[in-house]
Amino acid sequence: MASSVTPFVDPETGAPTSPRSFAIVHQRPRGSFMGCSKIHDYDILGKLGEGTFGEVHRARSRKTGALVALKKIIMHSEKDGFPITALREIKLLKLLSHPNVLRLEDMAVEHPPKVEKRNRPIMYMVTPYMDHDLSGLLDNPSVQFTVPQIKCYLQQLLEGLRYLHDNHILHRDMKAANLLINNKGILQIADFGLARLYDGQTPMPGHGGGIGKRDYTGLVVTRWYRPPELLMYLKKYTTAIDMWGVGCVFGEMLVGKPILTGESDLHQLELIFDLCGTPTDDNMPGHKELPLYKDLHPRPRPGNLPQRFREFGSGAVSLLRELLKLDWKSRINAHDALQHPYFRNAPLPAAPGEIPTFEESHEFDRRKFHDRKAALPPAPKGGTVGRGVVNGNTGPNSGFEPDGYGGRNGANGSRYPRNGLPPPGERRPAWQRDHGHRDLPPRPPPPQNYSNGWDGAEYSDSYRDRDRDRPPRGGIRGGHRDAAPIDTYIPSYDRERDGGGGRREPPRDDRRRHDWDDSRRHDRRWGGEHDDRMRSSRTRSRSRSPIRDRDSHRDRDYRRG
Amino acid sequence: MRSHTYLQDIIFYTTQCLTQSAGLLLQLPQSVTAQANVLLARFWLIEPMLSYEFSDTSAATLYLTAKLSSHPVSVRDICNAYTYLWSDSSPLFRRQPSPQQQPPEPTAYTPTDSQKTSFHNRLLSLEARILYTLGFDTHVALPHPLAITYLQALEFFNHSKSEIGSLTIKYLNTALLSPQMLYLTHQPNALAVAAVYNAARDLGAKMPDTSWWEVFDCDREELGFLVVGMRSLEGWVGKMREDGKGVWEEGMVRRKDVEGEMTRRGLLRGNGDKAVDEEEEMARLMDERMATMEAQS
Repeated sequence: MASSVTPFVDPETGAPTSPRSFAIVHQRPRGSFMGCSKIHDYDILGKLGEGTFGEVHRARSRKTGALVALKKIIMHSEKDGFPITALREIKLLKLLSHPNVLRLEDMAVEHPPKVEKRNRPIMYMVTPYMDHDLSGLLDNPSVQFTVPQIKCYLQQLLEGLRYLHDNHILHRDMKAANLLINNKGILQIADFGLARLYDGQTPMPGHGGGIGKRDYTGLVVTRWYRPPELLMYLKKYTTAIDMWGVGCVFGEMLVGKPILTGESDLHQLELIFDLCGTPTDDNMPGHKELPLYKDLHPRPRPGNLPQRFREFGSGAVSLLRELLKLDWKSRINAHDALQHPYFRNAPLPAAPGEIPTFEESHEFDRRKFHDRKAALPPAPKGGTVGRGVVNGNTGPNSGFEPDGYGGRNGANGSRYPRNGLPPPGERRPAWQRDHGHRDLPPRPPPPQNYSNGWDGAEYSDSYRDRDRDRPPRGGIRGGHRDAAPIDTYIPSYDRERDGGGGRREPPRDDRRRHDWDDSRRHDRRWGGEHDDRMRSSRTRSRSRSPIRDRDSHRDRDYRRG
Repeated sequence: MRSHTYLQDIIFYTTQCLTQSAGLLLQLPQSVTAQANVLLARFWLIEPMLSYEFSDTSAATLYLTAKLSSHPVSVRDICNAYTYLWSDSSPLFRRQPSPQQQPPEPTAYTPTDSQKTSFHNRLLSLEARILYTLGFDTHVALPHPLAITYLQALEFFNHSKSEIGSLTIKYLNTALLSPQMLYLTHQPNALAVAAVYNAARDLGAKMPDTSWWEVFDCDREELGFLVVGMRSLEGWVGKMREDGKGVWEEGMVRRKDVEGEMTRRGLLRGNGDKAVDEEEEMARLMDERMATMEAQS
């Protein structure tokens, strides 16, 4: 009998007890940890939206009466069981507790009716309901941010991020749509689907982001918020990647729309160089060692950040410059950013309670503000990150990737077998599936130089050639033409954006999208421009319209053939 | 006196050993396997041991921890490892085969397709069950890194750090198997202190004269309890081996065996007078489950 080994003694009676009851007695109090509820513990009040995050419902808790958001966990693959991204997110969120980090309150399970035997239970993550996300709020035409308000949000964002970084967590998907705001003026960082533990030294005041200790996967962060070092394939990245995202969000709050809206990874870099200048040994030491740099030949330029943000004052420009530093090692960290004079100079940051309340606005229902009837195309699901082994083309040990992100080895290129097409049955984002172009012939085999291609630049020619034989796809020659033939080549995703007025979410899946997609994008630049103007009376975003012609040439120039 | 706990302890110990063996076969780092051990212990605090086959529960916890770590393993690999360990070819809990004996045919421990499918289904449904039971609380803090830190702080002059360090880690790993569930009842720092203390005492290393454990937030009573708990496992296992030959030399304990044993001892329904018809028992369990489900919906 085990109890003869070491006495487990009942604290009250003094009688020996079994280890099992001893352990049960010494458990955490039940109330301190909710565990998992049933979906019936919540009254569903309606769908909030659908997007990269899956389905989100608004609900009221029957126990507490509080409004909550229920985020459905998408079961990507029956094969691998509970999705790893969701598991990681849950695990991380359970470890965190900070006013500026979204709290995971509960998990809820829904048992589908017993009609179909295969129906698995559906899991929901329960978080407090937040009235807005920053992206939706900025897009709400009735909302005008004031400087104290911007300072207040930025301060909270930095507080949250400081907490995350101090606790060894990289968020890796910093963007406006992932920052939730409620009508009490509280900002919270959400969506930890890409987050992971950080192995390196946590940021020290006065020492920027420090030096990376180990490799991580480069396929993170939504493109518009992706820092230059990631775009140039630095693998040993640091907490500084999140700080770049903060800079982008800060700029976005000042201007009212995203500031760096690249259409491809190369284009994104060009936009960054426009803003921050091209890399030199001074502003980005070590840039020559970055894998991509030798292929880049940007036209040297100083960067126009001060001019572009002049109207917001020197304090804002100075902080923005610190956040958008090309040099990831000296890019300001959250500790130091919070000490920046910007927060101490008039106008002072507002207290959260002073911020007026707004009509609820979410990134995913922006069409509310644009009178768009068309449904948003389902955005590519980002939750596939660590889905594990891609069927068929991997060996038994394919799950062993140093990063634990099985199936996403390497940079853009290696996801699919050499023919460049996903294996049959592989899930593709909706916009990538055959939408309007079923009439197209099968895609041509990729060019010979496939294996060294990491991005679509070289391909564009072959695709373009092919397309020249096709009927003109619109705009380029002017004239108001019917949209139909053009649209056959424009993923519905972009159609929405073009009509919807300037704001769109870059597909999160970009990071893993295959080359041929990028080349398609290059194509679209030739064809789509005029059409955009015709169909949308809104002014196109400043940052995007001029680059169309200019850039498609440049894309080729800064790569050596 | 033989009781429920006696069987429970054996199941606990053997299943934890099974997890460790599978972790070795799958070449998982001990940090992953150890976390699986802890999750399994947590799961069994709430879910009765007999609800699922022990090896399935072990496989599911290992799969889940591996998935969360940076060393995920595929269901297929898990299936192969566990089929082997479960088969007659496995040396786990058997007498070591004599050198003259022919090694077993690989077909004897290769799962068939239908076995694979059914294993897969059981694994995934158990995974969900475990997550639900644990309230998705999958974080485990292991004492191993702390123990190393403590050793570095302590400086045992007359002994090499590697020697004392490896013995410390051995104590910690052994404690994972203990049916006393030390990893659930005590904090990592206390476990680390006790392991260091044990290792130092075994090697005769000179410890500081003061109550150094207090520096590491562990009081004397707690340390004493853990020191005895950690040291006692070996003796306990030896005693169990003597007592329960049937369970120990026929491979991994199976639910069926335990149910049979319980019936024999009059612990299961039927009070030993008549053997419980297995099918009848199954039907009863299913009825119960349906009833609770209907009540829920």
